[in-house]
Amino acid sequence: MNKTLTTCPYCGTGCTFYLLTDDAGRPVGVEPSQTHPVTQGRLCVKGWNAFNFITHPDRLTAPLIRRNGKLEPATWDRALDLVVSRLQQTQQNHGADSIAFFSSAKTTNEENYLMMKLARAVFKTNNVDHCARLCHSSTVLGLAATFGSGAMTNSIECMDKADCILVTGSNTTEQHPLIGARIINAVQNGAKLIVADNRRIRLARFADMHIRWKNGTDVAFLNGLMHVIIKEGLEDKQFIKSRTENYEALETTVEQYSPAIAAQICGIRSEEIEQAARMFAKAHNAMIVYSMGITQHTHGVDNVKSCANLAMLTGNVGRAGTGVNPLRGQNNVQGACDMGALPNVYSGYQKVTDDHVRTKFENAWNVEDLPSNVGLTVTTAIDAAADGALKALYIMGENPMMSDPDQNHVRKALDNLDFLVVQDIFPTPTTEFADVILPAACYAEKDGTFTSTERRVQRVRKACKPVGESRADWEVLCEVAYRAGYQKMAYSDPSAIADEIAAVTPIYGGITYDRIDGLGLQWPCPESDHPGTPVLHAEKFSRGLGLFSPAEYKPSAELPDDAYPFVLSTGRCYFHFHTGTMTRRSRLLEREERFPFVEIHPEDAAKIGVADRQPVAVSTRRGEITALARVTDVVVPGVLFMTFHFEEGPANALTNNALDPEAKIPEYKVCAAQIRKAP
Amino acid sequence: MKALGIEELKTFLESLSDTYDVRAPIELKDGTRTLGRLEEGPLALFGGRTPRKPTDVFFPQFDRVLAAFPDGRVELAPAPQKPIFVVGFTAEDLDCLEFIDKFFSTNFRDHPYYSKRDTAVIVGLSGRCGEAGAFMKIAGGKCDIELIWDGTDFIVAAYSETGNDLVASMDCPTIDAPLDALQRESDALPSEERDILLKASDLIVNGKVPEAFWTEIGDRCIACTSCNLTCPTCTCFDVQDYDYEGGVERSRIWDSCQFDGFMREASGHSPLGTETLRTRRRIHHRLAADRERWGHITCFLCGRCDDACPTGIGIKAVSKEIVARFS
Repeated sequence: MNKTLTTCPYCGTGCTFYLLTDDAGRPVGVEPSQTHPVTQGRLCVKGWNAFNFITHPDRLTAPLIRRNGKLEPATWDRALDLVVSRLQQTQQNHGADSIAFFSSAKTTNEENYLMMKLARAVFKTNNVDHCARLCHSSTVLGLAATFGSGAMTNSIECMDKADCILVTGSNTTEQHPLIGARIINAVQNGAKLIVADNRRIRLARFADMHIRWKNGTDVAFLNGLMHVIIKEGLEDKQFIKSRTENYEALETTVEQYSPAIAAQICGIRSEEIEQAARMFAKAHNAMIVYSMGITQHTHGVDNVKSCANLAMLTGNVGRAGTGVNPLRGQNNVQGACDMGALPNVYSGYQKVTDDHVRTKFENAWNVEDLPSNVGLTVTTAIDAAADGALKALYIMGENPMMSDPDQNHVRKALDNLDFLVVQDIFPTPTTEFADVILPAACYAEKDGTFTSTERRVQRVRKACKPVGESRADWEVLCEVAYRAGYQKMAYSDPSAIADEIAAVTPIYGGITYDRIDGLGLQWPCPESDHPGTPVLHAEKFSRGLGLFSPAEYKPSAELPDDAYPFVLSTGRCYFHFHTGTMTRRSRLLEREERFPFVEIHPEDAAKIGVADRQPVAVSTRRGEITALARVTDVVVPGVLFMTFHFEEGPANALTNNALDPEAKIPEYKVCAAQIRKAP
Repeated sequence: MKALGIEELKTFLESLSDTYDVRAPIELKDGTRTLGRLEEGPLALFGGRTPRKPTDVFFPQFDRVLAAFPDGRVELAPAPQKPIFVVGFTAEDLDCLEFIDKFFSTNFRDHPYYSKRDTAVIVGLSGRCGEAGAFMKIAGGKCDIELIWDGTDFIVAAYSETGNDLVASMDCPTIDAPLDALQRESDALPSEERDILLKASDLIVNGKVPEAFWTEIGDRCIACTSCNLTCPTCTCFDVQDYDYEGGVERSRIWDSCQFDGFMREASGHSPLGTETLRTRRRIHHRLAADRERWGHITCFLCGRCDDACPTGIGIKAVSKEIVARFS
């Protein structure tokens, strides 16, 4: 019997709990930390059940190699030699950039760092990315451009200090439940709440204003708010003068978005814009909380920049209870970005195009000729595979067949590869395409760190032995590097990797396992005696002055028409996580949501003649799937909502692979669809 | 009566380790208190009840109950190798234990529960060792031994034959312990919270709490299920079969009435299909249905659901609101 303090493997809130194991070393429960500032002795339903999938019989327990079309068990030696020889062969035949590496927001910082090191130092390509591309790549770019740092500005504790909270595009109580609960408590204690979201989410029940704009009209709404704030003299003139630049450009742009015009674009009343603008601007501490409703658009970066503009305009940056707070969706999506599992930066957002940075990493890693071109993203790598330019792909802990837009396109891409290796804990629709499958240890079976949405770097601890022959991802990556002839990727344990990260990554410079043994530290933490940074941009922005970055409203890429008259929006439900690999193998969570479903408004359901729980066929220009109708006024008429958890009704067979031009994030939140009663 | 200092108690507990699987309040590495073995962390007897329900040792979150093998054999999970010796039940926890002992033996005798419970030794904890030194009610029974902290020592009271034998084996002085004074202090503890709970119970039973109230409370429920999972009198579980190559392993896992799937029928319809109904049921079950079934309410005011609820709708908070609004 043992109790091992570790960090939850689900969303980015960063709750910590003790994983309980029995005398045989098998997981038998969890117990929340009482002292952690976010957890406070509480957990959400996924956290309480986070022990349940670990020993599921479906776990991958031995390496598999495809022979004559069938996956057969193999030794680690054989599987790893095959991986290395095929990757090297591809590299020789087609060049370094014919290979790509997908890292993982589920794995530790150390593993993400090693994945990007493997790609860059060993295989000499910047084609390394991970699923942040699909969720918050627009945040990373948008907030880096405006503030100089692409992360949540404040801490979760700050929710308690806000006088007004604008929640937009975040179903917080379902996706970050303990943060959502804090918002509910803040409202109970007198804070104002504006929910700007098309769906009637739980927080809307507590909102002073629930604004149900048309999907994808975020920029028009935010510009409308700023128009009113400037018109009525509610802007923070002192903050604008002393802390920002480019204000005149913002003024010029938002001048065009009178409440009447903005309201018309958004499909709401102009009074709603006026009232929301006053409520937000007049609060002493006003905070913006957003998530994928803002980011997953072809104008995702514009949306993020507009949030930043609103915060700067009202002087709500750099203090407790304020800020622009993107809630990161996965346990370590913040850390995977921080570690440089991105095609344009090394760890700590150091640019691959910067000669000095490359030289620094060449020296640290004892290599030459690190590539200087920006690599492929998750989304453009799939395009390149479909086109035949990308020949080999190494996927660690990702499931693009379920998570990426337009499943038929992904299928074609994976089919088209010469060589695919997938390293994962469970079989997935993606492993079905693999030439080699490497069984990985899950979060409970290894050491490392995750970085939560509030930039808190905290420990993940090994509570039980890896099942079967599975190995920690960091061990596998080191083996691959060694077999590829690279000697500088050998570590005694993950803390040694963390020390290397600290040495080359200024924002993690003061972070060691000793220092984060208790409650972790929030980056930037540049020196060994630095206390960490709960609130960013306190005295000045990371980039110096905050840069107002006005954006014009642009319609979504695919709007409803006669053939496809509905807007389809996608997301997650409370009980499942992403592609369902873990939660659908957790008894109680799977029992709660067993079938793919589509939310449809009662008026629309009546029109197509379906009742609750009846099967419907939902189709777009990409494909058609069957799901059960969930007749509910959570959605407005004309809008359908689906989750992407279900293999048997994959929402991403329908979504549109239209990308934000900068962030390359797909437009999961808007595409044109039709729905009919299933035969 | 015998009196034990902290070190003497520790020595006594350590001396039991050959005979018993000893569990006591300990402090884990981040300061979280819980019940655990002595080697898992330093003793943490002060600070009130442990956040995790102590009944967890007999009815754990996940319990393997049997294995079925391809050759047709079925093996029940074995009883613990050593009897469990649990220190840390508060008076309220002992009320809870008494209730679930009854629950797990009424009409049937639950093997997984009693395979651990039958041989267990229960040690209560009371006196001035509550949160910030607050006085914790003296149970005066319902356990084998009670340790009552008087500010200097634990006064040891034995209430069973096993308890008497164990206390007799304690190597410590017998003192003229001022238990009467401690008992008076215990008796003088306020009963306001219990009065509120009983009033709320009456209001619910008499139909004074409208549906709209439950909707309002249900709106604040984020379905984390913590209320059920931390409640010592919640006994619901679901059954899970894992089909491994070597055979099927059947386990049971704490369930929650706050799940839609908890009562869902095969048709997909759930009689508790709304948050309003589920929230109402959670409170109604403890304060109304159980009152009819068992003759008493089955919340014993341990306070765990109130502490674990992220949005402040534990049973004490909800009862208080009911009494304030509908009396």
